[in-house]
Amino acid sequence: MVWLEAPNAPRPNPRPDAPRVVLDQRNLSFSPHVLVVRVGTTVDFPNNDRVFHNVFSFRDGKRFDLGMYPVGAMRRVLFDQTGLSRIFCNIHPNMAAYVMTVDSPYFARSDESGAFTIAAVPAGTHTYHAWRPGAVSELTGTWTSGTLEVAWP
Amino acid sequence: MALRLALVIAGAACLIEPRPAHGQSITAEAALTGGYSTDDVMAAATQLRVFGDVKGGIRFFGEAAWAGRSLSDLDHESDSFNAAYPYTNRVQIIEAYGERLFRPHDALVGVRGGRFRPPFGIYNASDHAYSGFLRAPLVRYEEYSLLSNNQLEQGADLVVGIPRFTVEAALGAPGDVGEVVRRSGLDTVVRAQGYYGPLIAGVSYMRTQPSQTAPVTDEHNHVTGVDLRWTHAGVQLRGEWVSGHPFGTGTSIGWYADAIVHRTIMGPVTAVLRVERLDFQDVESGSDEYLSRQTIGARVNLGGGIALQVNALHQSGDEDYPPLAFDVAVTWSVRKP
Repeated sequence: MVWLEAPNAPRPNPRPDAPRVVLDQRNLSFSPHVLVVRVGTTVDFPNNDRVFHNVFSFRDGKRFDLGMYPVGAMRRVLFDQTGLSRIFCNIHPNMAAYVMTVDSPYFARSDESGAFTIAAVPAGTHTYHAWRPGAVSELTGTWTSGTLEVAWP
Repeated sequence: MALRLALVIAGAACLIEPRPAHGQSITAEAALTGGYSTDDVMAAATQLRVFGDVKGGIRFFGEAAWAGRSLSDLDHESDSFNAAYPYTNRVQIIEAYGERLFRPHDALVGVRGGRFRPPFGIYNASDHAYSGFLRAPLVRYEEYSLLSNNQLEQGADLVVGIPRFTVEAALGAPGDVGEVVRRSGLDTVVRAQGYYGPLIAGVSYMRTQPSQTAPVTDEHNHVTGVDLRWTHAGVQLRGEWVSGHPFGTGTSIGWYADAIVHRTIMGPVTAVLRVERLDFQDVESGSDEYLSRQTIGARVNLGGGIALQVNALHQSGDEDYPPLAFDVAVTWSVRKP
């Protein structure tokens, strides 16, 4: 995932018809595995599996424990602080996901080929951040125009 | 090798926003395990899983496994590493099914067809494999043939209810993957499950076939169970009580209670603790035996998909089992979406 710093970008007002952001639970895994959202976003955690799940985040970022809930039920979490949240299930230790909360409207998650598209970026020089699962820390740099390539060491 | 990510900045268009996940892309997952037990057992295992969504809201799950153990004394018995997979030294299909969930109003209807674990008690593989325990609960150890994590059904499963309370029924034929194999026939499994706050309770009943090695009997096996689970703030308490007639004239009654604890302060360590007991009585032969066990252990996430599991056990009641045992296993797992 990549995002651009935008400290002066206006915060949008919540719209009731805005598309929901979902971190699904099915087949004993979270889907998607990695999610990037803007600070202030509410993420839905539906249980569409055939077993109970207990979603929690204890370490960094947003800390919560949704308790145990069954198939067909849903919990919601407001990600109101920036940073990386490591999401686990208390019942199934092999389940893991990441939610990166950024204070910027300019962010994207890569597709299968590793490509991103971020639209409507204002002209100028921007500081970018990149992160992927397994990375010890973020990569940062500056970008002005054209295509940016991020190479992981 | 460097992984390159290309970021293309477009000049004008609407802002990209995350979208709801309507389906799950097909995912492959592999796990490799190596282990040693002071029960004179060395073990290796691998599992390959493929799962995801296909058209029409149908999802599928498939799992194949190979596992083998070496014992210098072939007459020696041990259930080490038998938490959820059989150590039969051959590749086997474990589960392979398709399913569809429906949500009429606030209700829940789910149908599943294929090959799956019988929905009896706490039965999901992930509840037993790589949770920190290296042995299945005694009430789920196939040598007793009462209820086993190596039992599978080939048939159909239906779950109906509301999220707070569901009833599940499965109809199928045995498709066991362990060393103990049930006779062919028709099995019925019924389970009711409800939850209130952090507490989940379930009752299960299974009418199934006796094992092929059981004394000849025209009767079916009848197994009844009660299970409880409670979780809060990184602490999970579980328990099962199971009673049944595995060999026609014999009666098995067993239970276990365990705890899986992973608090923030524990970092990568998950602590596990289990106490359990299984009693076996046979009116015809007059035998009255029991096996009791206490287990303490840990699962340590070493990073990079590698997990270390250690278990120390004390057991009594069966002279074939040494009073003390120590199991250790390392598992490496990788997932490719």
